[in-house]
Amino acid sequence: MTDRQPPVLRATGLAKSFGHVQALRHGELTVHAGEVVALVGDNGAGKSTLISCISGTHLPDAGEVRVDDRPMPLGSIKAAMEHGIATVYQGLAMAPDLSVAENLFLSCELRRPGLLGRLGLLDKKAMRERAWELMDSLGITTLQDVTLPVGDLSGGQRQVVAVARAVSRAGRLVIMDEPTAALGARQSQMVIETIRATRDRGLGVVLISHDLPRVLEVADRIVVMRLGRVVADVPARDLKIGQIVALMLGEQNDPREESLPA
Amino acid sequence: MTATQPTLRAPSNRARAGALIRSTPAYIVVALVALVVVFTIISPEGRFLDATNLQAVGRNSAGLVLLAVGLTFVLGAGHIDLSVGATLVLSSVVAGTVAVDIAGPPSASGAFPSAGPAIAVAALAAVVVGGIAGLVNGLLVTKLKVNSFVVTLGTMGVATGTAQVLTNGSNVAGIPPDVQTSFGLNSVAGIPLPLVLAVVVALVAGVVLSQTSAGRHALAIGSSSDGAMRAGVNVQRSTIAVFVISGLMAGIAGFLDITRFGTTAISGHETTMLQALSAVIIGGTSLFGGRASVLGSVLATFIPTMLLAGFVMVGVSSFYQNIAIGAVLIIAVWLDQLRGK
Repeated sequence: MTDRQPPVLRATGLAKSFGHVQALRHGELTVHAGEVVALVGDNGAGKSTLISCISGTHLPDAGEVRVDDRPMPLGSIKAAMEHGIATVYQGLAMAPDLSVAENLFLSCELRRPGLLGRLGLLDKKAMRERAWELMDSLGITTLQDVTLPVGDLSGGQRQVVAVARAVSRAGRLVIMDEPTAALGARQSQMVIETIRATRDRGLGVVLISHDLPRVLEVADRIVVMRLGRVVADVPARDLKIGQIVALMLGEQNDPREESLPA
Repeated sequence: MTATQPTLRAPSNRARAGALIRSTPAYIVVALVALVVVFTIISPEGRFLDATNLQAVGRNSAGLVLLAVGLTFVLGAGHIDLSVGATLVLSSVVAGTVAVDIAGPPSASGAFPSAGPAIAVAALAAVVVGGIAGLVNGLLVTKLKVNSFVVTLGTMGVATGTAQVLTNGSNVAGIPPDVQTSFGLNSVAGIPLPLVLAVVVALVAGVVLSQTSAGRHALAIGSSSDGAMRAGVNVQRSTIAVFVISGLMAGIAGFLDITRFGTTAISGHETTMLQALSAVIIGGTSLFGGRASVLGSVLATFIPTMLLAGFVMVGVSSFYQNIAIGAVLIIAVWLDQLRGK
């Protein structure tokens, strides 16, 4: 693979408490370019907290995040974005009244060339065209019109737009928090295909999901968390669903492991 | 999945024209034309259509247009500003007081020694007071995280009270009349100067709202403040900006008030905020944020002023204006819901 290059992301020793609750005790995550790493664990295992520390939503109490072996300032969404990290949040982060194109470029709007652009005028045509190109390049065929309000789209379409936006902004790494939650089988498949297209662009992908069959379908490596710690980091091809569940529940030495339903 | 033909299409020009015809501003234009026709028919000798009457409508609308423009940004961003009427009054009181102080006592012939500078500084004072009031609203909403309805309900009282304290409750007298003759009562090409100013400001505001990042960000936070923040929008800055815009508009409107009456109108603005708010909602801006139209707001502003002028002309008490606007507001929102949005 790309082992000779430094990993896109190396997070070490991340810890975060909320009041008395130690949500994250020892968070570690390494992601290489062109690799999908699935982050799995039971509810409250600390997955979302770990991701929030990496994406800048939370300021960790301890730990370090390096992007391309350069340290990244923590606790700032902007700093994370500037380091090429983009996040697809659970519950998305879309403005439903704005169009697909407007959402894709929200806070990164394209301006017109010349004086008009310096006055702040937007280049809406260029944004529509670039939105179209982006969708095409990710193999997204489900959208008819990038000028539709995002609120008029189906759940799967919205998710795909959210992923496309993250991909267009991420120079290095896309983090996706439950991208297939609440989606039907066909819509989930659409999202999984977009994740593959993202990886094939050479971006690192971190995927949080409870949907283990789909995780195994798309992930290259699986990182299991339990009680705020990373308890396993294994190539996906070496794992079966039953083994992942056992790791999540802390039963990895349990002899029943083999008989858990796949 | 298999075909390589492009699947994303830009809307055709015909589709755009269709959307324009079905849009709220188009409905308002129809309503305004209907009002003009009805009042022209029932007014004595069709005097509603007289240039003098239409000029009066325009002059009376200027301040309201500005307030509505400011509120369009605030509502579009998912907030509300109840203090615009009170800010207008406070701005006009400060501007009037400043004008009187600088102009000095009038000579025997009634001329003020420094009327020109007095008016210029008064205009600046009104804008500054409005801007500060908006900034205070914005800071309270973003830093204390108090709901904007509550914040601006509070600052409405504070601004009204401050205006009353400054003048002991009476209107500012002795403002140089030049403020009316040089600006407020003048016209270009038959259009009252205050309305020209308001329309120019509205045009700029319309471009800012629909064509710039700042406008997109305001609507984005109105649509989903969380979503906008996660997309990288500086929600606090955008929120403060919309309140400052609203305050500035109220400040300019406060100055226009002086140029229209030659004095302040402390107790004359009890329903101004509600009229402006009604116009914005009738104009198609969502009360819940995310969708806003400066054009719709500006056009809808003429509904209350035309109703008032029409009622006066056909001899109906002006008190019926409030009743009519209340009815129009409810009908407009109901029709908007019927159109399914």
